[in-house]
Amino acid sequence: MKPISRRKFIIRTASAGGTILIAPYLGGCLSSQTNMKKSGYFNSEFGIDDNLCRKLLETAMSKGGDFADLYFEHTISNILILEDGKVNQSYGNIELGVGIRTVKDDQVGYGFTQIFSEESMLSAARTAASLVNTSAVPIKGLFSNPVVGDYYPVFSYLNEFPVSSKLPIMQVINEKCFNMSEFVRKVTVVFQDEMKRIKVVTSDGIKAEDLIPGNFCYVSVVAEKNNKMESGGWEFGGHRDFSWYDPKLIEKLSSEAVNRTLIKFDAIQSPAGEMPIVLGSGITGILLHEAIGHGMEADFNRKNISIYSTMIGKKVAEPFITIIDDGTIPNLSGSVNVDDEGTPGKKTVLVENGILTGYLHDKISARFYNVEPTGNGRRQSYQYAPFPRMRNTYMMPGDATPDDVISQVKNGIYVTDVSNGEVLIGQGDFSFYVSQGYKIENGKLTAPIKDINIMGNGPKMLENITMAANDLSMYEGGAGYCGKENQGVKVSFGLPTCLVKSMTVGGTSQKGGIS
Amino acid sequence: MNQEMKNLCKWIINTAEKNGAKECKATLAVARNVEIRYRQHKPEIIKESTTQNLSLDIYVNGKYSSQNTPDLRKKSLGDFISKTIKNTNYLESDPYRYLPDPEYYIGRSDVDLKISDPEYPNLTAGQRHYLAKDIEDACIEKGDDRLISVEAEFNDRYTEIYILSNNGFEGESEGTRFGTEVYLTIQDEGNRKSEGFLIISSRILNEFPGAEEIAEIIVRDAYQQLGSKKINTEILPVIIQNRNTERILYGLLAAMDGRNLQQKSSFLLDKKNQIIGNNLLTLIDNPLIISGLGSNLFDSDGFPCKERIMIDNGILRDYYINWYYSRKLDCEPTTGSSTNLIIPPGEKSVEEIIKDLGRGILITGIIGGNSNPTTGDFSLGIFGQLFDHGKTIQSIAEMNIADNHLQFWNKLIDIGNDPWKYSNCQLPSLVFKDIVISGL
Repeated sequence: MKPISRRKFIIRTASAGGTILIAPYLGGCLSSQTNMKKSGYFNSEFGIDDNLCRKLLETAMSKGGDFADLYFEHTISNILILEDGKVNQSYGNIELGVGIRTVKDDQVGYGFTQIFSEESMLSAARTAASLVNTSAVPIKGLFSNPVVGDYYPVFSYLNEFPVSSKLPIMQVINEKCFNMSEFVRKVTVVFQDEMKRIKVVTSDGIKAEDLIPGNFCYVSVVAEKNNKMESGGWEFGGHRDFSWYDPKLIEKLSSEAVNRTLIKFDAIQSPAGEMPIVLGSGITGILLHEAIGHGMEADFNRKNISIYSTMIGKKVAEPFITIIDDGTIPNLSGSVNVDDEGTPGKKTVLVENGILTGYLHDKISARFYNVEPTGNGRRQSYQYAPFPRMRNTYMMPGDATPDDVISQVKNGIYVTDVSNGEVLIGQGDFSFYVSQGYKIENGKLTAPIKDINIMGNGPKMLENITMAANDLSMYEGGAGYCGKENQGVKVSFGLPTCLVKSMTVGGTSQKGGIS
Repeated sequence: MNQEMKNLCKWIINTAEKNGAKECKATLAVARNVEIRYRQHKPEIIKESTTQNLSLDIYVNGKYSSQNTPDLRKKSLGDFISKTIKNTNYLESDPYRYLPDPEYYIGRSDVDLKISDPEYPNLTAGQRHYLAKDIEDACIEKGDDRLISVEAEFNDRYTEIYILSNNGFEGESEGTRFGTEVYLTIQDEGNRKSEGFLIISSRILNEFPGAEEIAEIIVRDAYQQLGSKKINTEILPVIIQNRNTERILYGLLAAMDGRNLQQKSSFLLDKKNQIIGNNLLTLIDNPLIISGLGSNLFDSDGFPCKERIMIDNGILRDYYINWYYSRKLDCEPTTGSSTNLIIPPGEKSVEEIIKDLGRGILITGIIGGNSNPTTGDFSLGIFGQLFDHGKTIQSIAEMNIADNHLQFWNKLIDIGNDPWKYSNCQLPSLVFKDIVISGL
């Protein structure tokens, strides 16, 4: 596997989008009740009891340190693939292990093992402890469970259903796609499900367990028309119940995949240069993820390497703009009942009425800034130490209608689907790839465009958001992830339709000096 | 791989057969990883681990499944294997899915690729700390009071792999890899900061560049970007610096992939033996380079690795087609993926090319962007320097290049003499004419 660059980026293995309004979700589903399936698993299956955890933590703190934690993980994931009309491939993976961390100030010692023997785990704890060389620090003797929400209320876990129950869904999608257009030549359907069990135990007395279902269904289509080939796709997913993949969703998934492919045959070359950009609602929230989200991760700020390091409390956008990173939206990919350090999932305001208000914290940065952790301490697996990561990042809606926003633009671009992005933390320069959109001419959508990169600068872009519509929606996919320092974690994002006064479009024709 | 693990592999194959697998292939891998990062003259992270993994490919009645597990206890493996076979039986059969004809395994080279450093066991914790710290110190030494942060990581990895199939394939490899990742931040105008980022890898520790050389590259790159700005949208020649050509080339490689060809999502479909680029473009895939980062004696199907000329003077000569997709495409397999990639270097340095090129852009970094393998359209964010007749005019950022691969590689007009040697892509700087540079 190639390393994920330190320059953070979002990659979707599939196209994706969102159409469900976020508003009905907000504020619901908070509960201190923990699903019985989530507690006691590591004790009953692997004998990981409090005494053993205490011993491991004492070893991790045997040479000093501010705190230590244990992160046990057992993840089972499966992928089924339909290709050329048959569900003829299955891929599976098991992650099983414990990561042990010792922290002193901003220094981290980390060891992990895949073997749940006491000897092997103690060895990992000694590796973590090797970071420091002072005297042992006592740990809290009793562990207590934090009060957490249930942000993935799932009753029918995909992995509990046999393979045979998923095949018909995939076959129906395949048939639907072919039936929708005579131009469809190839269809691939990928159905993934994952069951992740974690247990976090900390030297300051927290013990948290979680059961995290993850899944997605991705459809890609290749079509041929007038001797031209085009491809496209769509996906839905998240922390979902099996029943979510109902006929209505299957119909929508199939039609989105086909329609988003066919429209590309009508696409014209995109103009190049600076111009106004209207971002359609939903998946375009990747813009916030890149332009502001990464820069607000507190590890970059405590090191003073983010362009936002000195902007807290300052005006960065128009007063109508409020941007939030929220781990509590039910069933979205970035939601967390508890983060990977044992902190309950929360909602964190980054920009409030145009003012930059706070960072996204893990435990290390929270100690540095003397604030509470925000529940953003996340990691890819037990093989990695956690650090601040986004969850579900979105901008609150405005008052205008989407048509009002589009009508403001004489010549520009309307973005409907994006696939990936990247940011340079220090400069604030970011890019995102538009797989599909439209030209705007005299306030109206005209010809489709595709395959262009858009470049901007985070703080400048925030200043340049001049209008937002009332149609906030969230990315409802499950196949995308955010990469940072060689780790990928699932996230989501959202945006109402909004107008950015000017960004650079990486097209190939006229405008902006090209004659 | 020790005999105990080899015996376990044989047991896995036997157990799979007993449970009903007609064909099967087991891959056992063990690895040791160490990672040390320095910042502010002290370790920021120290990480050490040993991992193990079984990858099991099962073929039952034309049905196929591939499963991974790190749990190598026999009892767990027994359950794992029987469950895998049971689940495989639920799938639909595929007439193209079976292990390769064993005659394709014949002919493996016995050359010593020297991909495992014999000195690896002697590398101490103290040396690892020193290597990371030395890079940080060298960067700080070359910086000035605008330097905000240096993070210097040294990492190493030792891997052993053993593969066994029930139709006669047996393969074993052992490799080491040493790497550094360095991040450097400098204060620029206002809140803006300039970043440098460098990844270097090597199979042999003695071939790893010294801290001075590493610091020279990253400090120069980061300081060059100070004061960068967008310029007008123009059509200009561009030089893509050696370390960044890989990112452009991968758009071409994706279209050479057997699956994309078979799924009709490749702009290179039916283009074999046709001109797809300027005659300056030759691309060689050579898995047998001594100490190469992509070197190996056999590929993922078990086929003997050999050198292949993929593009010869602008003409597409080969695709990457593994066994499975060769069956579906009804053609001979080549190999499933790229190994060490080489574009033969030219004669001039980048500095000499810049002198002769008039006004143009030296691209020193690529940010984001993507390439569509079906159509060949691509668009990438860039930063670098605007130059005119050998002189740097200004640093540029927040800009973009876009084209289609089938036109783009025909615009190749020169190749630098500077192949980047610290990657499996040993690519030199490439020069293209008439590229749309989007900015203001």
